[in-house]
Amino acid sequence: MGNLIVITNLAKSFDDKKVLDNINLSICKSERAALIGPSGSGKTTLLRIISGLETPSQGTVQIHTRNIGYVFQEPRLIPWRTVEQNLLFVNPDAELEDILAKLRLKDFKNHYPHQLSGGMKQRVNLARALITNPDLLILDEPFSSLDLPIKLEIINDVLLQWQERKFTMILVTHDLKEALLLADRIIILSSSPGRIIKDLTVDLNPVNRKISDPALLSIESDILHVLSSAY
Amino acid sequence: MIKLERTLLGIILFLAIWQVLAICLDANTIVPGLGAIFSELTGLVGKKTFLVAVVSTLVKVIAGLLLTLLIGLPLGFLLGINNKLFDMFRPVIMVIQAVPVISWLTLVIFAWGIGFRGPIFITFLSLFPIALLTTVSGVRNLDKNLLEMATLYRVPRWQVIRDIYLGSLLPFIVAILDVTLGQAWKVILVSEYLCGNSGLGVLILAARYEVNPAKVWALTFLAVLLGLITERLVKLLFRKVAKRWAI
Repeated sequence: MGNLIVITNLAKSFDDKKVLDNINLSICKSERAALIGPSGSGKTTLLRIISGLETPSQGTVQIHTRNIGYVFQEPRLIPWRTVEQNLLFVNPDAELEDILAKLRLKDFKNHYPHQLSGGMKQRVNLARALITNPDLLILDEPFSSLDLPIKLEIINDVLLQWQERKFTMILVTHDLKEALLLADRIIILSSSPGRIIKDLTVDLNPVNRKISDPALLSIESDILHVLSSAY
Repeated sequence: MIKLERTLLGIILFLAIWQVLAICLDANTIVPGLGAIFSELTGLVGKKTFLVAVVSTLVKVIAGLLLTLLIGLPLGFLLGINNKLFDMFRPVIMVIQAVPVISWLTLVIFAWGIGFRGPIFITFLSLFPIALLTTVSGVRNLDKNLLEMATLYRVPRWQVIRDIYLGSLLPFIVAILDVTLGQAWKVILVSEYLCGNSGLGVLILAARYEVNPAKVWALTFLAVLLGLITERLVKLLFRKVAKRWAI
């Protein structure tokens, strides 16, 4: 399968502080990659460069699509617009019924953001990214503020959508379990400046993964071993 | 209900103190009796000259406010999104803010004489800096994350202005109207008094020439009442707009 993203010798500095260094990374179409690393490893900066919100200080980034959906860490919903209006803001021609039903938002389409729970807001954040029919879906720690049951529900929603649409996915997270539930590839970044120190394949069934699955726990233990020796 | 009763009690107490002062001081030129004021009030209401004056003042208030908003808001928006422009315009705004109204009044009399335009222009000059600077601070307080989201999804500029900028600015526009409406009445009355040819300010000037303090108080009371009524009406309108925009 062809590459959707090719990053070569990428470095990024803010003022004199280098946050990313010597990043070489290719991500195939339909691949689900998770970037993990400690705070300050430049994970979010890398996502912002990939999505075009930042420019690299050095190196090249080739993205073979302009259809990018971004699920932000905080929902970034327009407070004075309803759920439906927030979605139509990014794509006025979108057919909303299907996605609202699939993400269990149908009864909330006329609600304002302040009337929604944290989990609901993140579902709208996800729906907004999906109605642009993205080839690349970027998830920037979208579950960090959610309770475990809600988090698992939304992870399942994301996986169902991936099965249906087969977009490429990049997830940034602090939580190794989130990465193991969602990704088929885990890229580990070092602390500042971020460099890729490990690139692992998660050889498990893409969907219906369980936190308690012994195979998943075994991969988690291997990764923790890598992390403990790296940091 | 208890609140209303307390308010009414406050008003009655105020009127009683007034009447006591009027009797004790026996200074008709400063504190005329309530009876004299009431008789002036009933004499004024319904009179053609009074109604024409009310309409004239009201038109000037609306014109002054519209001019302030139509120029202050777009310019404030432009200066808010462009720091270089703001730095360029800041000295002019500061000068407009600092120049005493009396200087503007004198210049207006030189330029246009006594008439309709002067009070509107003076109102505009007094309120314009408030509208402009509040809008600038509104634009600067905008949630940058929302703008970034719109950039990422390549949302057209006009849509960003309508859905993000306007929504963010609405509470600031409400604040501008709230402050400027009250001020507009006061400024219009003063400028009508000094350089107008019609309106409540001119009627107060006429009462001064007649040495009729009861009429001055009656007119003042009516002007305050009209100011409060327009303020209430505008606030009711805001509430509807705010409900629609969920702010």
